[in-house]
Amino acid sequence: MSIVTVQLGQCGNQIGHEVFSALCSDIRGTHGLCSKKENESYQDSCKERFFCEDESGVPVARAVLVDMEPKVISQTLSMAARSGHWKYSSHSHFCQKQGSGNNWANGYSVHGPRHKEAIMDLVQKEAEKCDRLGGFFTIMSMAGGTGSGLGAFVTQCLRDAFPTSFMLNHVVWPYGTGEVIVQNYNSVLTLSHLYHSSDALLVHENDVIHKICAQLMNIKQISFRDVNQVIAHQLGSVFQPTHTAGGGSGYSRNPLGDLMETLVPHPEFRMLGLRNIPQMPESSLPYSTFSWPGLLKHLRQMLIANAQMEEGIDWQVRPPHPGSSIPSTNKALHFNTSIANLVILRGKDVHGVDLGSFQDPSLYTSWLNPQDAFNAWKTPRAFNKYEKSAALVSNSQFLLKPLDSIVGKAWNMFASKAYLHQYTKFGIQEEDFLDCFTTLEQVISSYTNL
Amino acid sequence: MELHSSFACQLDPLKILLNVEICEAGKHICLNTIKCEDDVPSSQEGAGEAGAEDRVDVRYLQWLNGRLRLQWCALHAQHQEQCKLLHKIHLFTSGSHMDQNLGHFSVTEADLTRQPENYKQLFQLLESETLQLEAFLEWKQLEPVYWQWMETVLDNMAEEGNMCESQDAHLEKRRLPEASSCCPWAERLAGQMDRASRELLALQEQLQQLVAQRKAAWWEKVAAAEELQKERFSATAGKIQESVELKLRALPCLRAPKNKMHGSCRLVLRSRHPGRQRGTAGRVPKQAVPAVGAAEVMRELQGREASLQAELQQLREQCRRRLQAIAEGWEGVICISP
Repeated sequence: MSIVTVQLGQCGNQIGHEVFSALCSDIRGTHGLCSKKENESYQDSCKERFFCEDESGVPVARAVLVDMEPKVISQTLSMAARSGHWKYSSHSHFCQKQGSGNNWANGYSVHGPRHKEAIMDLVQKEAEKCDRLGGFFTIMSMAGGTGSGLGAFVTQCLRDAFPTSFMLNHVVWPYGTGEVIVQNYNSVLTLSHLYHSSDALLVHENDVIHKICAQLMNIKQISFRDVNQVIAHQLGSVFQPTHTAGGGSGYSRNPLGDLMETLVPHPEFRMLGLRNIPQMPESSLPYSTFSWPGLLKHLRQMLIANAQMEEGIDWQVRPPHPGSSIPSTNKALHFNTSIANLVILRGKDVHGVDLGSFQDPSLYTSWLNPQDAFNAWKTPRAFNKYEKSAALVSNSQFLLKPLDSIVGKAWNMFASKAYLHQYTKFGIQEEDFLDCFTTLEQVISSYTNL
Repeated sequence: MELHSSFACQLDPLKILLNVEICEAGKHICLNTIKCEDDVPSSQEGAGEAGAEDRVDVRYLQWLNGRLRLQWCALHAQHQEQCKLLHKIHLFTSGSHMDQNLGHFSVTEADLTRQPENYKQLFQLLESETLQLEAFLEWKQLEPVYWQWMETVLDNMAEEGNMCESQDAHLEKRRLPEASSCCPWAERLAGQMDRASRELLALQEQLQQLVAQRKAAWWEKVAAAEELQKERFSATAGKIQESVELKLRALPCLRAPKNKMHGSCRLVLRSRHPGRQRGTAGRVPKQAVPAVGAAEVMRELQGREASLQAELQQLREQCRRRLQAIAEGWEGVICISP
């Protein structure tokens, strides 16, 4: 079963390229640490998911590239082709000459309707190439104009055209001190629109990844390429094939569906955060050993204390006492309540791992029991040269504070009517803004009252 | 023996035969597995028990509802995959079939070309199915004779039951005169058999009496209930019956057998320009096979979908009105419908 990736805007296209690169280099690597049969099964499954066969034998990524400027797309296409190991199809991209000027309304109300047919045509062609369409994966940033505005419009069109397909939106949260003045407006508009059309929003925050690059990867001059590579590694650790708990002996044939079903069945709670452990420079890998109990202990504390990486975790934060029925306001401060969690384990000795600590009912909200709320996927095949690695996809209060902060800032700007004319002139009126604020306030309130 | 044959009458054996999964053909002819559903369901007691402990957070219900919807989407994707692959098989094997009317292989046939050993299994299944059908045909021919014989047996047994016991002993001796001379134990055996048949008769009478009593009591109950709600009961029952029948008729092929090697109908791919089909020129067309075109099926399904949608809307409206009525009865509660 296959996933069609839609790369939107500059950020989306650059990250998308890194993701396919990471996936391809992982399956070509010899670091699998598992039996040959397992490795072959893993490779076949990954290839079916993300690539299709070409006459030349080079895997062709199942992707559609969309941008309003030609520069990034042509760079992306040529970088992929130059690698020699995979490439994009030469027909699956759409670009224009003008750009969106970081204006969400321009992307949504102008470019969207104008180019809808051409873009949906490309997506339809990619979807038809799949024997089984496993869903759509869109990559975009919230802050700009194309990825955010056009991205929101394209997501809506995808939902209308494929009402029963799974849709996962990967959203990149801008730097808090970002350069785009209206990024908070763009973010609010994007999030509220995506909440209506998409099944799940998987979020990466630029600030967080930047810290990982600085503190864990020891990179001195952090470029966007470094940030994108860390993001790609984290996404790869989620999307590479795994055996799900209930399934048969083979790799899961419905990864997006399984992900959605375990994490986001409830329509109010769609925001997913991602944590990955361990993360370190490739040069240090041969000198490091890992143990599952150690990794899982850190991962669990990262979940509880809402830490973004394995350094600087606050070990003081503890789950609330199980006996007391505590209303949410009295819950231990800084404790991150989860709705549902998915842990993905890859590597050596993965079958004997004890995940009981993640099934503690005090980690979860009261209305869902741990059997429903917690799931684990495993594979003995190691990922990207890490002998053991664990990823956590969490539907929890991870993004409550960032969301609250963005909505707060956007509201302040909106209250003083700053820069609104740039949106109203393209048809996004104040009522639309108010609707978006209402939607997001509802989301914030739902997550706060866990 | 009598019980079995009366069962065989009530339930249509041919239907059962053909409904049964082919692989399980052997054990399913035994009618022991068919249950008699005479028990009145006693579910009325459990209904009123929902107390405070059973209250469920509505968010959990929404969670479950979401999971159901997502599983349905996955099913949809699987079904589409199946259709796509089926189309591929039909397309790639077009022109290869011996029967020019069909033109391409079915899934079973395509699988056989890849794994020829499976032909043995398919052959066995077909053979057993043929044997069952032949047996059924034979039974159908002999059925009237069987019932005549059964009637005479029953009459005989009734007569014998009326005669006094002393005559039974006479009859025993008269019936088996040779037995005593040949083997002494044969006489004992014959005596035991007669005793057993007498006991069986007595038990059967008792059973019939009990059955008659139960039936009488039941009909009394039903008559009483009908007296109470004469018109309403029969009317609603009739309506329910009708709608259930309609719905059941609309869902004919739900019984998809699991490991089926061949099913009850055959899917044939037809191109839109039949003139271009090769090989039909010199052939005598075979007798017309009953076939249904895809467009027809689609139209029918669309019609059915429309009527079900209308019904859904109606039911939703009813629920909404009921909810409003209930909400108006409560003070301080505002009901905002979606």
